[in-house]
Amino acid sequence: MPLDYRRFNGPEDSIPYKRFTKDFVKSYDELFKELLDDKGVRKDGRALSEARSMCMFFARADMVSQAKGSAYVELRKTKVVCSVFDPREIPHQNEFSELGQIFCEVKFAPFSCPRRRRPHAPDAEEKALSVALRKALEPSVCRHMFPNYQVDVFIYILENDGACLSAAINAAGLALADAAVPMYDIITSCTVAVIGDKMFVDPTEAEEYLATTNPDTPINHGLLTLSTLSELKQISDFIQIGSMDVVSVTNAMEVLEKECEKLVPLVQKVLVANVLKCFAQRKRLEEEANEREKALNSKMEEWKKLLNAG
Amino acid sequence: MAGLLLSPTEKVFIVHGVQDDHRSDGRTNIDYRPMELETNVVSHATGSSRLRLANTDILVGVKTEIDVPTPEKPDLGKIEFYVDCSANAAPQFEGRGGEQLAIGIAKLMQAAYHSSDAFDLKQLCIFEGKQCWKIYVDILILECGGNLCDAVSMAVKAALFNTKLPSVKAALMDGGNIDLQLSDDPYDAKSLDIGTAPLLVTLCKIGDKCVVDPSAEEESCSVISVVVGVTGNPSSYSTEENVSDSAKESKFTTIEMVGSGSVAPKTLKDAMNQGMVAAKLLDKALGEALLRERQETQVKTKKHSYGFLR
Repeated sequence: MPLDYRRFNGPEDSIPYKRFTKDFVKSYDELFKELLDDKGVRKDGRALSEARSMCMFFARADMVSQAKGSAYVELRKTKVVCSVFDPREIPHQNEFSELGQIFCEVKFAPFSCPRRRRPHAPDAEEKALSVALRKALEPSVCRHMFPNYQVDVFIYILENDGACLSAAINAAGLALADAAVPMYDIITSCTVAVIGDKMFVDPTEAEEYLATTNPDTPINHGLLTLSTLSELKQISDFIQIGSMDVVSVTNAMEVLEKECEKLVPLVQKVLVANVLKCFAQRKRLEEEANEREKALNSKMEEWKKLLNAG
Repeated sequence: MAGLLLSPTEKVFIVHGVQDDHRSDGRTNIDYRPMELETNVVSHATGSSRLRLANTDILVGVKTEIDVPTPEKPDLGKIEFYVDCSANAAPQFEGRGGEQLAIGIAKLMQAAYHSSDAFDLKQLCIFEGKQCWKIYVDILILECGGNLCDAVSMAVKAALFNTKLPSVKAALMDGGNIDLQLSDDPYDAKSLDIGTAPLLVTLCKIGDKCVVDPSAEEESCSVISVVVGVTGNPSSYSTEENVSDSAKESKFTTIEMVGSGSVAPKTLKDAMNQGMVAAKLLDKALGEALLRERQETQVKTKKHSYGFLR
C-alpha cells in the first residue's frame, strides 16, 4: 500500500501491545464462553435476540451544518456520522448516464477499532464497505430524477463496536432523507453473527470477530448483513461471509427481516422529529424577522417625526 | 457488459424466453454452456489453468512464495487473489477501466476462501509462527462473455488442484532465523487439499426467474444477480475411496448481491437454493474432469496440448 509520507506512520513492523497480554492467547472456546454467561445473557446485558437499537436508539438527522443532509447513529459503542451533499455533475465522465450515481465513501477513524490502528489511506475493508453501502442505497434512491449527476454520501465511523455496515446504511438512509433526495422507501439494515446454533443479533465487535474466525470444529459460523426497503418488501442488499448451511442462512434471514422491520418506526420517528424541528426553526426565524421589522418600522416612525419636527 | 447494445424488443424476447424456461441459445434456466478446461498451461507458474466457458476466457496462474505468518494467526498460511481485466477483453478495460470489476471479483473470491471449511490455510504452514507458504492466485480475464464469477472460481479451483508445493526436507533454526531446505526433485511435491474449495454460482434475475450461467446478452437484461459461494465435496477430487466418507455437507461461504436492483425475500431464498444445487453439480463435474486429466497425464495418453493454438 502506498504510504503517505507527510504523516507520521510509525515503524512498519510494529505490532499492537495487546499481542503480549493474556487475552491474546485465549483459545476459541474460552473466547466463546466469554460472550455469554450461564443464563444466555451477552456481555453487555442483552439477550441473544436483542438488538442495541431496541434498548437505546440514538439517532438524529441534521448533524453537520455544512452538509445538505446529515445524520448520526449510535448503537452503544458503534458511532457513525453521515453527510450527504448536493448533486453535482459526475466528474471525469464522457458518456451521459441516464441514472444518477451515488458516490459512497466509508472511512474509519484511525482510533475506531479495538484491535489495531487504522491507516489513513483507505484499506480493503473500507473500500468493500463503500461498495456494499452503494449497492444497498442504489435501489432506494430515485436515480432517474438526477441524470448525469452524482450524490455524495460520506460515512465516518468514529467508533466501531460491530455492525458498522448496518449502522452506516441506517445513517445514510436518514441523511439522504434529510437532504431531501427523492427516495422510494425508508431503508433499514441489520446484522447477525452466527456461531454454531447461536444467533447474535446486532453483534458487538468481539462477537463479530469470533463469528468470522475459524472454529476448531466445523460448525456454522458467519456474519450476515441485510438491508430492506420495508414498504416495498424488497431486499436491497444481502451479504454473507463465513460458512453456513442452507437452514442456518434461511433462519438468519428471517430474523434479519424482522429486525429491519422493527427499525422502521424508529427511523420514522427520527425523521418526523427532524421535520418538526425544521418547522419550529423556520417559525422562530420568521418571528424574529417580524420583530426586527417591527423595531425598524418604529425607528423609522421616530425619525420621520424628528425630521418633520425639524 | 462491454459495448453490448440490445434493442428493447430483443430484451423482451430474452425475458419472455426465460419466463418459459427456454433461453435464446436453447438452454433451460439451469443449464450451463459448454466449457473447456486445461491445466498446467503456464510453465513458469506453480499451477495454472485455462477455462473457456463459451466466450468467456479465463487464465489463472498460481505462484507460491515463502512468507512470515501474521502474529494473530501463527499457524496459518496466506492466499491472495488478484484479478486483471485485460484490455483485450473489452476496450473499456484499458488503463484503470476494469479496476472496479477486478476488485469486485477478487473480493468475492477472498470472501469465499475465507473460511477454513472452504480452504484450510493450515496446510500452508511450514514452521509455526515463523514460515508459511503464501499463494498468489493471479486471474487474467482474456475475454468477457458473461458469467465471469463462475468461470473464475472454477479456473481457480482447477489451478489450485494443479498446484504442487515442494516438500520441505529440513528446517534449521539458526539464531532465531529459519533456514529451509526444500526438495529440488520436481516429483517430490505435495498437492494441495482443495476438495472443499468453493465455487461461485451467479444467479441472474431476469423477469421473475433466476437463470444460471447468463450470457452477456442476458446479463444486460438484468439489474440484479445473486452470487453464492458453495464449498465443494472432497470425495469428487480424490481417487481414493476411503477419503472422507463423511461427505461433508455443502455450505455457503459467501452470498452477495451484484447489481443495482433489489429482490423480494422469496426470490432471494429460491435463488440461494437453486445456486446450492447448481454448485453441487458443477463441483462434481469439475472434479471428474480434473481427475480424468490427471490420469491421462500420468499414463501419457493425453493428447498433445497446443496451449492457445487450437
